[in-house]
Amino acid sequence: MRAGFEPGQRALTLYFRALAGCGCELVPYDDDADLWQHPDTATTVRLPAGVDYYADPEEWYRVAVTHRALHHALGTFGLDLAAPEPLFARRRPDLPPADVPPLERFTRLFGRTALAVEVFAVLEDLRVDAAAPRLFAGLAPAYARVRHAALADRPELAVLPPRAAVAEALVRFSLGARQVLAPAALHGPLSTVVAAAARLLDPAATVESSAEAAIRVYAVLAGLPNVGAIRTARPVAFDSLAADPELDPDDPRLVAAAEEVRLEGDGALDVRLVPVRYRDVPGPRYAGQAASGMPLQEAILRMTVETEQSQDADTDGFAERSLQAERGGVDVTATERPPEPLPHDHGPDLDDHHEHAHGHLHAGGRDEFVYPEWDHRAGHYLADWCLVRVGSPKPVRSDRRHRRALHRHGHLLPGLVSQLERVRPAGRVLVPRQPYGDDLDLDACVDAIVDLRTGVPPSPHVYAALREERRDVAVALAIDLSSSTAERLPPDPGRPTRVERILDLQRDAVSLLVEALERVGDGYGVYGFSGGGRDDVRLSVVKDLDERRTPAMLHRLEGLTPDHTTRMGPAIRHLTARLAVSEAATKVLLVVSDGRPYDLDYGQQYGDAAVLDYAVADTARALAEARDRGVRPYLVTVDPAGGDYLSEMCDPREYHVIADARDLPAALGQLYVVARSEGMSRATTVGSARRRAGQG
Amino acid sequence: MAESVAEPFYLPTGDEVELFLAAYEQRIPVLLKGPTGCGKTRFVEHMAWRIAREREQPVDEPLVTVTCHDDMTSADLVGRYLLSADGTSWLDGPLTRAARTGALCYLDEIVEARKDTTVILHALTDHRRMLPIERLGTTVPAHPDFLLVVSYNPGYQATAKDLKPSTRQRFLAIGFGYPSPELEARIVAHESGVDASTAESLAFLADKLRNLDEADIIEGPSTRLLVHVGALIRKGVPAPRACDVALVQAVSDDADVQGAVRSVTTAVFG
Repeated sequence: MRAGFEPGQRALTLYFRALAGCGCELVPYDDDADLWQHPDTATTVRLPAGVDYYADPEEWYRVAVTHRALHHALGTFGLDLAAPEPLFARRRPDLPPADVPPLERFTRLFGRTALAVEVFAVLEDLRVDAAAPRLFAGLAPAYARVRHAALADRPELAVLPPRAAVAEALVRFSLGARQVLAPAALHGPLSTVVAAAARLLDPAATVESSAEAAIRVYAVLAGLPNVGAIRTARPVAFDSLAADPELDPDDPRLVAAAEEVRLEGDGALDVRLVPVRYRDVPGPRYAGQAASGMPLQEAILRMTVETEQSQDADTDGFAERSLQAERGGVDVTATERPPEPLPHDHGPDLDDHHEHAHGHLHAGGRDEFVYPEWDHRAGHYLADWCLVRVGSPKPVRSDRRHRRALHRHGHLLPGLVSQLERVRPAGRVLVPRQPYGDDLDLDACVDAIVDLRTGVPPSPHVYAALREERRDVAVALAIDLSSSTAERLPPDPGRPTRVERILDLQRDAVSLLVEALERVGDGYGVYGFSGGGRDDVRLSVVKDLDERRTPAMLHRLEGLTPDHTTRMGPAIRHLTARLAVSEAATKVLLVVSDGRPYDLDYGQQYGDAAVLDYAVADTARALAEARDRGVRPYLVTVDPAGGDYLSEMCDPREYHVIADARDLPAALGQLYVVARSEGMSRATTVGSARRRAGQG
Repeated sequence: MAESVAEPFYLPTGDEVELFLAAYEQRIPVLLKGPTGCGKTRFVEHMAWRIAREREQPVDEPLVTVTCHDDMTSADLVGRYLLSADGTSWLDGPLTRAARTGALCYLDEIVEARKDTTVILHALTDHRRMLPIERLGTTVPAHPDFLLVVSYNPGYQATAKDLKPSTRQRFLAIGFGYPSPELEARIVAHESGVDASTAESLAFLADKLRNLDEADIIEGPSTRLLVHVGALIRKGVPAPRACDVALVQAVSDDADVQGAVRSVTTAVFG
């Protein structure tokens, strides 16, 4: 079996977060992929799906993720062009404030932006790799091994033209090489490049230092031809090259580079560095994520400030070209990439391959239940038509999401609890004459003392105990787990970086509500439902009605995953049956969904046009059955179009449409208050009617 | 006696010492908020020691600490009758004891107590400074030196459980966070006895792992945990093993989270 990172993907993702201080998603790419096609983004770290070229893949991945994380931790993408840095004479221009990100402004200032980006990226890689063993001494040996192994993948300098050869030498230097093969003619340029790069080994180096070094390295590289190959090369040790990296602003090399004229097609002659596998290739982040358009012809090396004219100049058509053309396909200046869907279990492709069940169904075990279905076209029930399989979600041993939900929405709790308590006050009651308790019951004590003194064995029931006064309410909370709940919501303008799915919001809502229910003492169960055909209606039990709240319950809540479709009828019937055996006077079934009821064989026998009506009719019938059995149903949907079909299913007082799914956590508790109040009044009415009937 | 007790080690992270002393001078009750293991209890011990040192009348027990919990009743704080062969006798609870002797009474994790229990603090925390004892039918006036200090962890308690506004608004609130890495290294070195370099590495490690705390993946790690790790290292336990038993296992039961935390500890200590 190939050694990939996916078995430890979550741990590696968390490791990245610990080091970087921000989150990311680890995404694999195939072996034969062009690495330039897979730059990291602000939210994505791309890694090879497998590592066959290194003896210890786990070690390799850890080093690769450390490197990527340290780019964040050490500020690679936080360049501040105005910030001081201690290692170089300042050659950065003083640019007026602008909306363009500093990294983009910086790279735009170079004649050949692609070359500048590459140089800056290699120098940042060098700075990060120098800092990594200092910060993480325990990782230093592994880091050294991975860097050393990366050297073996490098191309021969002897076959490269001078500019590419010096750039390659820089990469090798950044990987810890001690020498390279280079002709004497390149010793001068190489000395300056290595001297500038070597300063980044200093612990005081910052990203601004890399920017300064990039200016110097770029000046040297831009002055070298990028055609022809080196004919005679000899080994030259880096530490034998001595030079002052500081270049005078009037240095002729700078002037020549600054006045460089690009010709149509000469992008093909640009340096294309072979990527280092454990490092990320320069991507949109290196261009400030929003960069696009042609690099400016204004030379940074002359320290001229960019002008409106230069930004807009496009007379020769160069502005149509982007780095994408230079990369042969990758636009490193592309704007933000479309978000990728979060991984979730869609299971097998049911739409294409589901085999419909035939005839009546039978329960095969104690966790399987068979229910009828209402066929409104035929006007009768289909007996034993749906098989409900009851199971537990695979627990995720963490309650952090629950805590986070409380952190976000907990301010709503006191008000919610107050509202629930207002409906029927409860608290603790002092129960006298108990065998044990919180305090002595003085009356019982006096009796006991009297008994003792009169020679009668005293009763041991001399304590008063505080007991919870439980409310006589039971609620089954059913959450739609259909695949659509895995979809990401459009970014919240107020929190553009937060990724939210409907399922996450459902979980948050449940977290908040169960805290309130615990505090007021209402009995409750939490269930997830989905469908994979009438013979496979799935009910995931997070907490059963008669189960105590435990940490495991929160772990199961965490473990809920999106799964297929929404066959609501059988889920309602099963939970109605579950509530019906509860002794609570008030029984509430609270259903939270994100769309209309739908399954693969839910009315399709009458044609696609009949599917919605069929599903709505069956669900409406299931809700009516619940009412008949003393269960108060209440449906909540985050589907903005929910009113269209919910109004056909139930009374207007029995459903609520939430226009923005983000309001669900705050709204669900309030809706439960409504549902419970209605349920209580109904329970009272039914009870009174029954009493009257009994009296009659 | 207070004089015989060594000064509890505490390094201020801000102006909390001055604030507390100012509050004490005015006898304003103090609420300490901060994550677990960040030094709230040590701070109270330190302040109790400082205050006791200045007192004209030494007190045997300058600090009375009560760890609150859900089943705690007002009797647990105020006192209760005990049953004996001769009848019943009254035993002061810790709050009554502190109010009578003028000690600092520290109610740790106050929000864990039920609201109907903490209501008895009201008369003690306003201008009345008295403790009504219903069972005795009396009222105990608080000693002039008495001060009530309470604490809770806003990370996981503040929202799920909260003080009644009528209780909360009787306190001056001082927020605590984890110390800076430099300060934390000094604390860890002092408390555990490890060398400065190891203490710095532990503080650096904690600083990284708290990125997971900010993302609500773990809680902490607390300074207290780092001290535990340091103490094990000082006793000769190899650093990776000490981190594993005292830190990795302590912050989470989730295998992936443990794997991530272990990777970070490995990166720091090998």
